[in-house]
Amino acid sequence: MLYLLGVNLPDYKVVSVALRYFYGIGPKTGEQICHRLSIHRQCKLQDLTEVQINELSEVLSKMKLEADLRRDVRENIVRLKNLGTYVGRRHMFGLPVHGQNTRQNGKTAKRLNARVFRRQV
Amino acid sequence: MPRSVWKGPFFVNFPNLKQAIERSIPIKTDARACTILPSFVGARFLIHNGKDYLPLAVTEDMVGRKLGEFAPTRKRFSYRQTKNK
Repeated sequence: MLYLLGVNLPDYKVVSVALRYFYGIGPKTGEQICHRLSIHRQCKLQDLTEVQINELSEVLSKMKLEADLRRDVRENIVRLKNLGTYVGRRHMFGLPVHGQNTRQNGKTAKRLNARVFRRQV
Repeated sequence: MPRSVWKGPFFVNFPNLKQAIERSIPIKTDARACTILPSFVGARFLIHNGKDYLPLAVTEDMVGRKLGEFAPTRKRFSYRQTKNK
């Protein structure tokens, strides 16, 4: 395991895939980072040289990831709520935000949306 | 999908906006789709929600949103045992 910026990355995975263990890096961003550092597409994390790992951590440290990003998302939601907008209200009630029906289902929103406010209580 | 930029924001002209801000008279309106422009800051509105006119004092953060976002149209469901109440 490689320990980078507070996240454990698996050695045996392809670099672009392993990077997705960060909150804030998905398939696309992972590939973009690899391209920028000219890391081969099939290169695994264990095959990286010391220099490459340093470059990688330098790029990552400049990005907004993990706790910072989570805090940002939360602040955005709380701001909408304090402003009194429709979207903020939907977040607070744990209902879908983008105009979906709620007669049935809406399960994802019920699971996720009010989390920000639940934790404060 | 957001609105095309070249169209500019949708808004309704409030001819008495300036006086309303000065004397802090609320503007009664049905134009829920009207974008809140920077010139609205400090004004007070009464926005129709389909039934009543709800008060709103516009602050700087609200610029760019629609008036209707601040006047909820739906009542929260609350269970009642009898219908005749």
